[in-house]
Amino acid sequence: MLRESVRTLFDRAGGVGRSRKLRDSGGGWDGEMIRELAEAGVFGVAVPEENGGLGMGLAACGVIAEEVGRVLAPEPVVATVGLSLGLLRRLCPDHDMIGRLIGGDTVLATAWQERGPNGGPAEENCRYADGKLTGNKAWVVGAAEAQGFLVLAKGNTGPVLVMVEAGADGLSVEKLTQADGSTMGELSFAGTPAEEMAGGVAVPDALDEAVNDTAALAAAELVGLSERAFETALEYIKTREQFDKPIGSFQVIQHRAVDLHVTCEVAQAGVREALALMDSESDPKVRARLASRAKARAVTTAKKITRDAIQLHGAVGYTDEFDIGLYLNRALVLSAWLGDDAYHRRLWFDAREGEGAAQ
Amino acid sequence: MTDWNAMGDAEFRKEAREFFETEYPENLRHLPHRPKFAEIEHWHRKLHAKGWVAPAWPAEYGGMGLNAAKLLIFYEEQQRWGVNRGRDMGVQMVGPLIIKFGTQAQKDYWLPRILSCEDIWCQGYSEPGAGSDLANLRTRAELDGDDFVINGQKIWTTMAHDATHIFMLVRTDSDAPKKQQGISFLLAPMDQPGVEVRTITTLSGETEFCEVFFDNARTPRENLVGELNKGWTMAKALLSFERIFIGAPNLAQNALGQLESFARGRGAFDDPAFRDRFAQAALDVEDHAALYARFADQLKRGETLGADVSMLKIWVTECFQRITELMIEAAGPDGGSIGPLQVGNVSVDVLASFYKARPTTIYGGSNEIQRNILSKAVLGLPG
Repeated sequence: MLRESVRTLFDRAGGVGRSRKLRDSGGGWDGEMIRELAEAGVFGVAVPEENGGLGMGLAACGVIAEEVGRVLAPEPVVATVGLSLGLLRRLCPDHDMIGRLIGGDTVLATAWQERGPNGGPAEENCRYADGKLTGNKAWVVGAAEAQGFLVLAKGNTGPVLVMVEAGADGLSVEKLTQADGSTMGELSFAGTPAEEMAGGVAVPDALDEAVNDTAALAAAELVGLSERAFETALEYIKTREQFDKPIGSFQVIQHRAVDLHVTCEVAQAGVREALALMDSESDPKVRARLASRAKARAVTTAKKITRDAIQLHGAVGYTDEFDIGLYLNRALVLSAWLGDDAYHRRLWFDAREGEGAAQ
Repeated sequence: MTDWNAMGDAEFRKEAREFFETEYPENLRHLPHRPKFAEIEHWHRKLHAKGWVAPAWPAEYGGMGLNAAKLLIFYEEQQRWGVNRGRDMGVQMVGPLIIKFGTQAQKDYWLPRILSCEDIWCQGYSEPGAGSDLANLRTRAELDGDDFVINGQKIWTTMAHDATHIFMLVRTDSDAPKKQQGISFLLAPMDQPGVEVRTITTLSGETEFCEVFFDNARTPRENLVGELNKGWTMAKALLSFERIFIGAPNLAQNALGQLESFARGRGAFDDPAFRDRFAQAALDVEDHAALYARFADQLKRGETLGADVSMLKIWVTECFQRITELMIEAAGPDGGSIGPLQVGNVSVDVLASFYKARPTTIYGGSNEIQRNILSKAVLGLPG
């Protein structure tokens, strides 16, 4: 049901063609689409019913993320569901901002990383005291378009989550343009007014969980992207003729196509299973391992499929005119965000060793 | 008679697991080679006494009558404990064919002898000129009075040197318009002057494969199963379940377990590059298992599997090979040594695993043939 309604919504709006138009007009997303997605219940899927959501799990969110990936939708569905709402529903479930995010009335970007090795959540630089925020944040998805920010910072008595309005005093946003035309923000705060949303040890715990969820959902988005990229390449090799035959009749092309198909099916099964297991698992360490399993698989798959899909298209695959390049570019961005495959295999291995040692 | 299908899945799994764990001889677990019947006869007698020789056969023929879901559990438990399949060509291939296409007389005569292993069967399909292109087979059978007279050669006939009977695809009409037509399914005794068996030594030094030569060998005409010239269709009808079985995760999972304890003992995990390759292999196995579960669920819901199930075999066999290659890497200078390598209290025969993995991408329809099938039947590519 969820899958069909989201797919129909995107298709009616123009599918990948809509995403291309948004990119060509300078990046960013479509506010009207945010409201339509909200009406379809997309943002509140994982929020408990008593807080105004649908109370479904990560696997259901994954279904939506796959559909987002298929049409390369630039709306920050995964970042909102996984990070912004992931933090708020865990830390301040009764805050009225939750309803505003679910309803699509506002979009918040989450700023949790700082420049440092591996982009870890270092709270050293960003300080919060007396209602003012000072310091820097990096790799903020949707920073250019969001109406506000959730920021992880160090308060007087420990970690805090604060909210900052877009355009607040002393806030500057530097845009880093990404391969797919979207931007990430580098934020700096100089005595910027901020509202404290939550504090204490619960903050880093909630952040870990939210980041795990988001990595897993990014994996699902990559699975949808990979599937559609493969379908696009498959349609192309069935119609493109050389030597008076469709190139898809040549065995070397066929075997490559089969390998991509198999890779894609394995990724879909593996990522869906990981998300379902995360729903039934409460130990954060195990959930982290599962999220890494999902992201590692999805990145490896999306890299392979989008690159080979370009090759199967031949020269036209290297032009901006054909959609397949959009898939490659989006795959680059989603792969780098929250850690690529090598990074997550490392996390996965370490988590597994940790579990082994604990037994 | 027990109705196993009425049992819950978990209960049945427990029953199978307990039986294997208590009754299966420890020294025969995870055998690296195919045993001759004498080596596993003792185990076969136990299975026979319990009525568990033929899990897939209907109960009326002496089988367990398991449905697809229970059958999958049975095989999963068998593989998990490293229980050898035994000499099961009769049970897996001949029996189902006779049950489906045979006469009452054929059922009455052959089926009990298959269950008791009084007859031990080998499969005569491949020929020197008919491997991947199996329908190209040329071994002829011609009627002469009440007998078929057989001339030709079969190859890769597993354990033919330890079999009493062969079931074979033979050409009975050389003038048929398509080569798939004109093929029949025939049973023949091995112990006769016109049959000669030569073993083939493999890379691992084993002699489980044979060549079988037929020089005016004879078999009674009542040993034709099904209709004359309809053997190809019959043989194909049997393969659908085999295709998920051949793509099951167990071989790769077992190898991964061996790799892990071996690599740990050898200190290979100190090397971050090796850790990454191990993680890749382990995740390849985990995610394959997720895909396998999807197909297994299809079977459990009573659906028939499509041609897409072949993707399991492609992925898992190639993954199995990579795992055994990592074992060799972890063995370092011992990577060329024949026999078990000792690490702490674990002993791993690295080369045996490596060799075992090689033919998996060749047999059961080579992975290239599987890719051809997927490309046409699933992706709809032309030509």
